[in-house]
Amino acid sequence: MSAVVLKDMYKRFGAVQVVHGINLEVAAHEFVVLVGPSGCGKSTTLRMIAGLEEISEGILTIDGQTMNRIAPKDRDCAMVFQNYALYPHLNVAENIAFGLRIRRVKKDVIARSITEVAAILGLTEYLERRPADLSGGQRQRVAMGRAIVRHPKVFLFDEPLSNLDAKLRAQMRAEIRRLHNRLGVTSIYVTHDQIEAMTLADRIVVMNDGRIEQIGTPMDLFMNPVSTFVAGFIGSPPMNQFRGTLANDAEGASVTIGGGRISLPDTVPRDPGRDVIIGIRPEYVSLAAGEDTSPVSIKLDLVEPLGSEALLHAAIGEDPFIIKAETLGGVCHLSGLTEVHVPAEMVKVFDAETGRVLNQGPKR
Amino acid sequence: MTDLPASSAGSANSAGEQADGASARPMQERLVWLADHFKREWQIYVMLAPMIIWFLLFLYKPMYGLQIAFKDYSIFRGIVESPWVGLEHFETLFNNSQFLRAVKNTVIISALSLIFGFPVPIFLALMFNEILHALYRRTCQTIVYLPHFISTVIIAGIVITAFSPSAGIVNTIIGWIGIEPVYFLIKPEWFRPIFIGSGIWQEAGFSSIIFLAAIAGVNPSLYESAVVDGASRWQMMWKITIPSIMPTIIIMLIIRIGNLMEVGFELIILLYQPATYQTADVINTFIYRQGLQSGQYDLAAAAGLFNAVVAFVLVMAANSVSKRVSRTSLW
Repeated sequence: MSAVVLKDMYKRFGAVQVVHGINLEVAAHEFVVLVGPSGCGKSTTLRMIAGLEEISEGILTIDGQTMNRIAPKDRDCAMVFQNYALYPHLNVAENIAFGLRIRRVKKDVIARSITEVAAILGLTEYLERRPADLSGGQRQRVAMGRAIVRHPKVFLFDEPLSNLDAKLRAQMRAEIRRLHNRLGVTSIYVTHDQIEAMTLADRIVVMNDGRIEQIGTPMDLFMNPVSTFVAGFIGSPPMNQFRGTLANDAEGASVTIGGGRISLPDTVPRDPGRDVIIGIRPEYVSLAAGEDTSPVSIKLDLVEPLGSEALLHAAIGEDPFIIKAETLGGVCHLSGLTEVHVPAEMVKVFDAETGRVLNQGPKR
Repeated sequence: MTDLPASSAGSANSAGEQADGASARPMQERLVWLADHFKREWQIYVMLAPMIIWFLLFLYKPMYGLQIAFKDYSIFRGIVESPWVGLEHFETLFNNSQFLRAVKNTVIISALSLIFGFPVPIFLALMFNEILHALYRRTCQTIVYLPHFISTVIIAGIVITAFSPSAGIVNTIIGWIGIEPVYFLIKPEWFRPIFIGSGIWQEAGFSSIIFLAAIAGVNPSLYESAVVDGASRWQMMWKITIPSIMPTIIIMLIIRIGNLMEVGFELIILLYQPATYQTADVINTFIYRQGLQSGQYDLAAAAGLFNAVVAFVLVMAANSVSKRVSRTSLW
């Protein structure tokens, strides 16, 4: 049974509609990440689930119970906010206990819960400190502690790591995932950071302009984006996209990009003359020719070494083309590169007009 | 000597010179830094200048005249030529029953104003914050802000009219329940409640703005988080709003305590009369009568200086206590 179900949910602020009828089923114990650019409606959706925003239209159920008219406190959700929302005048222990005190839980139960949660989150030695005396990561842990301590049915995370630096974000990401594995509470997590989405989620919901673009596992979204939007949003760096026209010859379907012919997979519909956008992941570009690869001439502009890998900023004709290549301990072998090879099986083809994929791959 | 590094110690003399040089160098560096800073940020100081000039002209320059509190001042001889008399005026003041009565009244009126008047703007701000209907809230705010913009003379007129024994609304209302008209403004026991009440009526609304601004600065996520945790509006007010604006409340309290000896004497002068001096005469009205009406400027200056010193001690003490107790202070 699904823990959280959103059915045809709309949100309007006056005449402006910001969420356009989304449908989503989150299974019990699942970790679902809503990801999308700023203003895509992901936080609004989360706030509708929490009860902080009214649902303009549609139905929200949690554990089978319709929640549209239920007060936030009775939805049994706990929320972690982007700016932590810690009470500055309370110490860590009091912050963690706030929700329990409000619910008039017995003092000994509160004390036990605080000790337990502090131990889980490594906050035991900071219980007497106020939020101002904590680091960003510690504050984030307190915010999570406040959510955990209530043993809710659903955790809602609203960009909880946005205020942390890159290193701490990576650390906290792992902690959140470990915590989810340990507690198994159904979690809905909002972020605009696709790396966070990829690393945390059981399933990712990509949102764009108040609509769901695609729902799938991280690898499914990476390998089989249904649209140019998802292709450009998921993956770092994003998928390279080139406009072209489908051609059909003896060797199969192809597209000519920057004067070079790129073979397309067999799954692409035979529709010569159709305007398409082809997508090539930077990771799947090969430096050496292989079976069923197409050679492509490039103009290399810049090599960015990242350690074991390097990002090659190049161009095919006038279109930018990013390639991720292994460094093999140095980047000298990359600097004079004029040709790379694109494996046909790794090319995604999208309709130029609708942006929808034409060669959907198998689910992953 | 022992603090100097071994390589720079040398003889006692050279060490001394080096030590002097070391202390002079930071001073020179500091001056250079200051010059650079002024060159770079001169616009800020230009903007600050009017305020500094105002302070110098109207608050610091008059301090020069304070010396007449220690002189037998004559307007014909001037401040400089008037002979010094030491603490004579202070002795006179502390032997003057009217001054001691004024000190007592000042403290009582200020303390009562603080006790009854200080919480009202906070209460109003909290109530305004709870009104969800924007138009209704704005209307209420306008109504309570309005008296602030009325001249003190008109306020006094309204108070005198309201408490008039013949046509005043207060006497009319109490007349309905069979009570004989009372001439409130000549009864010493009624002066303080009327004065403090009218002060609250005039200023509470406007003073609530600062607390409303503090409430507006509370992170909305705190409320949202509390809503999800199950807090009621009442709980949010007690557990989030009030603690969040506590630093502002404390700062305002310190300022108020600093002004404890400054009773709004314009309204007192307009409302009091010899019959109510017993409870109405405060230090400032005493200074006004002695200084301007009786021409005893030196005695009035001594009373004013005493007032200022007490106020200074009070604000220092309040700041220090607040710093220790709540970690909030003016400086």
